[in-house]
Amino acid sequence: MYSIIVVPPPTTEAEPARTRRQLAPGERLTFGRSERDNDLIVPHDGVSRRAGAISAQGAFWTLSNLCAHQTYVVENPEGAGEHIKVGPGRLDAPVPFEFSRIVLPAAGDLLAIDVWAPRHDYLRAEGDLDGDTTAPAFSVDRSKRYFAVLAALCEPRLRGAPHAPLPTVDQVVDRLRPNWPAASRTSVQWNIDYLAVKLRLKPGPQSAEPGARLNGKKESLVSLALRFDLVREDDLSVLTAVAPRRPR
Amino acid sequence: MTEPYAVPVPRGYRVGAWEVREPIATGAFGSVYEARRTEDAGDPGGGEGAEGTTATRELPGTAALKFLPTGTGTPRQLTHLHELIEREVELLRRLSRPRLIRMYDTLTVDDPERPALDGATVLVLEKAERSLSALLAASPRPAAGPALLAQICEGLAQLHRAGWVHGDLKPANVLLMKDGSARLADFNMAAELEGTHAYTPAFSTPDYTPPELLWSEIGERGRRIRPSADVWAFGVLAHLVLTASFPLPGGTPTARRDAAAAYARGTDELRLSPELPDAWRQILQDCLTRTHADRITTETLLRRVEAAAGTGRSPRPLRLARRTAVLSAVTATVAVAALGYGVSLWSDTGGKADAGAAGKGGGKVSAASSAQNVTSAGYGATELRTDKGIPVKYRKLIVDSAHNCAQPEVTPALIAAMLKAESNFDPDLSDPANGEYGIARWTPTILRWWVRSDGVPAEETPRPPLTPELSIPAVSRYLCGIEPLLKSHLPGDRRVLLAASYRTSYKKVNAANGAPPKARAYAARVAHYLKEYTPPGKK
Repeated sequence: MYSIIVVPPPTTEAEPARTRRQLAPGERLTFGRSERDNDLIVPHDGVSRRAGAISAQGAFWTLSNLCAHQTYVVENPEGAGEHIKVGPGRLDAPVPFEFSRIVLPAAGDLLAIDVWAPRHDYLRAEGDLDGDTTAPAFSVDRSKRYFAVLAALCEPRLRGAPHAPLPTVDQVVDRLRPNWPAASRTSVQWNIDYLAVKLRLKPGPQSAEPGARLNGKKESLVSLALRFDLVREDDLSVLTAVAPRRPR
Repeated sequence: MTEPYAVPVPRGYRVGAWEVREPIATGAFGSVYEARRTEDAGDPGGGEGAEGTTATRELPGTAALKFLPTGTGTPRQLTHLHELIEREVELLRRLSRPRLIRMYDTLTVDDPERPALDGATVLVLEKAERSLSALLAASPRPAAGPALLAQICEGLAQLHRAGWVHGDLKPANVLLMKDGSARLADFNMAAELEGTHAYTPAFSTPDYTPPELLWSEIGERGRRIRPSADVWAFGVLAHLVLTASFPLPGGTPTARRDAAAAYARGTDELRLSPELPDAWRQILQDCLTRTHADRITTETLLRRVEAAAGTGRSPRPLRLARRTAVLSAVTATVAVAALGYGVSLWSDTGGKADAGAAGKGGGKVSAASSAQNVTSAGYGATELRTDKGIPVKYRKLIVDSAHNCAQPEVTPALIAAMLKAESNFDPDLSDPANGEYGIARWTPTILRWWVRSDGVPAEETPRPPLTPELSIPAVSRYLCGIEPLLKSHLPGDRRVLLAASYRTSYKKVNAANGAPPKARAYAARVAHYLKEYTPPGKK
């Protein structure tokens, strides 16, 4: 029942050890250099012993800057420079982004803690704000990159070939490059993984076999997206629209 | 009403024998209109003919027509809509119960002149006076509230007995008839149970969604739901009817959703309104439990709601569902059932929430085990022989696990026969060479998928030793889950085929058209013990 995912900064010696932490609403995760008082240890001499805390509040989160003299910046990596500043001693500053990167200045280095808020809600075309309405369990932001990736994955089937093979990651990269020049295998794969989290895809038994995993995940995402009309034919315009992407 | 209608239909429009009158209501998916039956039924002229499925027999003078935009020309041509409509039509075709709204007919609009309507599905439904939500808006805390709740609960029980889950119980989906009685309606989210759970589309109304379904994982078949989800929704609805407020605090659905999440995690307590009469407070507390396993069953709920409302007992079907019949044969039904559930909860290897609950309920476990000692020697004797050497200490686990599955093939005798064939009831079996452990010879990586009663895989693969409390309920869940996947006309005893699927896989059994050669000896042993453990006169 978590609503927030925290991805710790990479550490040089143990790159795969970036274990994601899941926070349910009301849970709090403290971070800093000290091994005693923190839930997440950031082993860098430039980081305060008790550097800060992340609290999940419903679908969003707040950041407390426990450091005495440094300002933290929370960036929206997809927001074209959009960011907020959280000054020293500021407690529980709300962060509105679905994706965020907390940048910790640490003696010349910049350490990044990624925080995802996959439960953010978005208005659906036919939806309204009345809580009594039967609403779908998913809510996607059509201006985000993950939506473009999902659209590219669904494109062959939406264009009228119901059993068309799914595009490979490389084909998706090529399809998205005109609007997203920095697209790469890694970034597309990252978005596919994020979509699986966002759409709360049940990990299938096949995820035990490493080879079949990737393909199964794409298949499941596409079948879920088409079944619940997360992507419709008119949404394919995100693939052709000329940059800048329209804000929503 | 300023809301735009999902499907606008002009007054006087003709569909089959019906002439559309006033609009009644609109939902996210379709719109409902009052309609009058015209005498010259079946006139195909004017391009407004319709294909119906039944003749005009016993049709009333007025009805409610529900228009669902399924046509190819409708602006919102949606894949998921077809699925939602099929669910409603399927349920109403197959179920006719006094407390469920009645469907007289289904029609398809054939009117190429109006692309917005052409191809629309029309359900001809019993016409109601208004919905419970309209009643609550006009007069909060209605005097008839308790009686209505008893009727709503009766409808829920009728639905659950027939093996369906409503999936979207809320005041707007409860209709009140002219005589003031209540009927359940709107079965777009309803689903037929497959074993202990059903799959519904991933739609829900936040205020009535039980915490275990908030942000729950969703597979390709939709989200897994149990009858206990309707029990939670009933608790919310009853609180609203009796006190005009929601049970969980907060000014918006989002705030209440977060309160439900905090409550389920054990960081907050349930504070029901002080206005609630004591009898109802007890009932609502048992509906609004943190986990689905602690919620009361629909039959118990119905009995207690009828007692609290002071209404008479509703007629019960003569032949109760197997599960209920067996439970009532045991003394102190309610207590035993509740305690039995307690045990199955502790065997979950779950997340933090479970661990917290376990700590709190420590007393319950010991109570359960002592109750087990008293009743176990003859427990479930009508279905499982007492004189064939089945260890007494596993009887309750075996019988209760089997009863948690609604598939008739999954019987206590089958599970006992499998345990005998797998391990000779040895709870300490350890076979590292084949990676199999415990009384049911589970492979831990497979057990992980079946170990939790809510259908979610455990976060970690269980490590041997695997206790019987962990192994036996999981066997029942596994059998229950794969039963629908076995081909329907395989030759041989289906129970033995299920056991063979447990040993190999349902795919292998389907492919071999029976027990695969490798599993034949095992299947023969299961068949032998199955016969031995089944009391005479039972199948």
